[in-house]
Amino acid sequence: MNSKNKYGYLFISPFFIVFSIFGVYPILLSLYMSFTDYKGIGSPYSANWVGLQQYARLIKDAYFLQAFINTWKIWGVNIILQLALALILAVIFSDMRLKLKGVSLFRAIFYLPNLMTVSSVALLFLYILDWHHGALNGLLLRAGLISKPVNWLGQPHTAQLAVSLIQTWLWFGHTFIIIFAGIEGISKDYFEAAMIDGANRVQTFFKVTLPLLKPIMIYVVITSLIGGLQLFEIPFLISQNGLGGPEGSLVTMVLYLFNQAFKYRNFGYAAAVAYGLFLIILVFSVIVFKGMFKEEV
Amino acid sequence: MKMKKYLSILLSTVVVATSLVGCGPKTGEKSKTLEVKKDKVLRVWSFTDELKKPLEYFEKKYGIKTELTIIPTENYASKIQPVLESGVGAPDVFTAEIAWLKQWTDLPYWENLSEDPYNADEWEKDYVPYVFNLGKDSKGNVKALSWQATPGGFIYKRWIARKVWGNDDPAFVAEKLSTMENFLKAAEELKKAGYKILPDEGALRWFAKGSDPKPWVNEKNELQLTQAQIDFMDYQKKLRDNEYTAMAPEWSPAWFASMQGPVPVNAGWEKDINKVKGNKTEVFGYVMPTWGLHYVIKPNAKNTAGDWGLTNGPSPYFWGGTWIGIYSGSDNKGAAWEFVKMMTHDEEFLNWWYKETGDLLSYKPVTDKVKDSASDSFLKGQNHYQFFLKEADKINPNIVTKYDQGIDNIWGNVVSEYVNGKKTKEEAINEFYKQVKNAYPEIITPLDKK
Repeated sequence: MNSKNKYGYLFISPFFIVFSIFGVYPILLSLYMSFTDYKGIGSPYSANWVGLQQYARLIKDAYFLQAFINTWKIWGVNIILQLALALILAVIFSDMRLKLKGVSLFRAIFYLPNLMTVSSVALLFLYILDWHHGALNGLLLRAGLISKPVNWLGQPHTAQLAVSLIQTWLWFGHTFIIIFAGIEGISKDYFEAAMIDGANRVQTFFKVTLPLLKPIMIYVVITSLIGGLQLFEIPFLISQNGLGGPEGSLVTMVLYLFNQAFKYRNFGYAAAVAYGLFLIILVFSVIVFKGMFKEEV
Repeated sequence: MKMKKYLSILLSTVVVATSLVGCGPKTGEKSKTLEVKKDKVLRVWSFTDELKKPLEYFEKKYGIKTELTIIPTENYASKIQPVLESGVGAPDVFTAEIAWLKQWTDLPYWENLSEDPYNADEWEKDYVPYVFNLGKDSKGNVKALSWQATPGGFIYKRWIARKVWGNDDPAFVAEKLSTMENFLKAAEELKKAGYKILPDEGALRWFAKGSDPKPWVNEKNELQLTQAQIDFMDYQKKLRDNEYTAMAPEWSPAWFASMQGPVPVNAGWEKDINKVKGNKTEVFGYVMPTWGLHYVIKPNAKNTAGDWGLTNGPSPYFWGGTWIGIYSGSDNKGAAWEFVKMMTHDEEFLNWWYKETGDLLSYKPVTDKVKDSASDSFLKGQNHYQFFLKEADKINPNIVTKYDQGIDNIWGNVVSEYVNGKKTKEEAINEFYKQVKNAYPEIITPLDKK
């Protein structure tokens, strides 16, 4: 090793030092906390060591199971709608035969919701979806589509659906941009060849666009999965007291973790929940990854 | 070449060093005499903007610069606690709402004001007893003080009382609402005249607590659900089923709007939807304490000022309150103590504060002076001071526990599931026990005994 190499290490050291203090250390600390009954008071090192007790509680915890199911329901509906919407829009805007104008304008418009702070979005939808005084019910009543106001945020299924739709609205623009870029990245030759061979739009989509988009789709699904399983802000802000809405239907895994830690101050247990969440995301990311690549082999 | 080497070492040390700023150990040496540092900025954290004016007053009076950090109530505890734990970027003075008070008095966050040089124990006789007692830790040391007392009442619109009953006198209305049976009768009379007695059913919770005041958790760490709480589940359901409320939940946009004037009627009110269009209803009154009158209702009902009344509901209660103390790790305790003293024990300031806000103070030398002459023009000249002071005497501070906010929320949620018809009474109570156990594993619930 010559002296030039040593300087290299010196120059990259700041990142590693900062990362170990602000990244690695908290991760290890919360692992340690998950083996204690730490209550958020004093030093975590002075809390009682309880071994695997918190994890034993986690496995038996019916409320965590409910949070797990809620999170999947909300994410599942959201990702299907989001992908479908983004794909349709991306295909329309990239269609060689249509040659639509103003793509960049629409791209900006679609992306706009994503730029708003989540708290304003939550407040906006609280106004729109309010039971007796909301705009949506007012509109539907006036149009005669419903005869009684619907308590959108007061019933488990509609509340979950509302959160899914808000998430879709927030994120379809982002997905659209990625998929659109993916389609743009596919060589025009394929589409021209398909056109010459007389393939219609549907055939082109299923035989050319979709297979070639697969890596992009996997990227979108996995990043959305990782983000979706950590869903927190909208359910937190839209449910009263941040407690998770009607019959706990909006309690996602991270909301549950948050309440355990910062509301009830069970930091030890919340740390165990965090590691449980980490394992779940890891396992499902691998499953999605393997599952989508399987056919190719 | 050597130059380059030194330069690179220097650069990387600077980068590392700057990344470590803020991690230094806190310095917290104690001295018996307090030095008031005039050149230091006094940092204050709170969860409302209530302290803004007092701080301006303080700046003028003492010539000390101050900085107020306001963190919304929902996030206050989770934001301030890590700061108080680590001492990094911590305030010199911070306030607590009653929800966190009992948790924090027993932690080493607040300076012990019973000790030298503060000796706040000597002030006990100067305060409304419950307010002073709540600021003590479990050993009886004073950790925080408060300038206000926050008993509650029923704040109503006089013109509705005149229209429905031909009488808007507080004593008359108190009689109308004196028991829950009477309360429901009054609700029916108001409904017939096109009004709603309350904005939502949840407002009844204070009367539920007030009619059998017991702490949620007793000294054996057992959860206590009183019969009164269970009875009030049915009262809430009656309010809902008979459509006695405007279905405008507390703090919702509709709730605020209902203070200003009529709000869109609950569309479930009429079977025929066509009749509902454009129909509006008006809320008769609010279950609110002192601060609710001054900071919530007054600013939202400017056009009807002077035609409101204040009276008793079925039971006395209190709600909220702000306590203030000195951060134990502060290096500016002298100025911090000056501010706390001014806020809670300075007759000149408190007199000014009373004139400014009309808020109910806890400091007797001032309340004794103003209680006979007080009158609130918003309440048609009614003497709110005498009313609230009498209510404050009925308050039992021993029912406050550190679990209150969490358990109140859980209870409110299961009761509304019962009111909405999602759960039977037994299911709701069972769910309450389960959720309390899940939140606070150390509490013993009836389910543990089975």
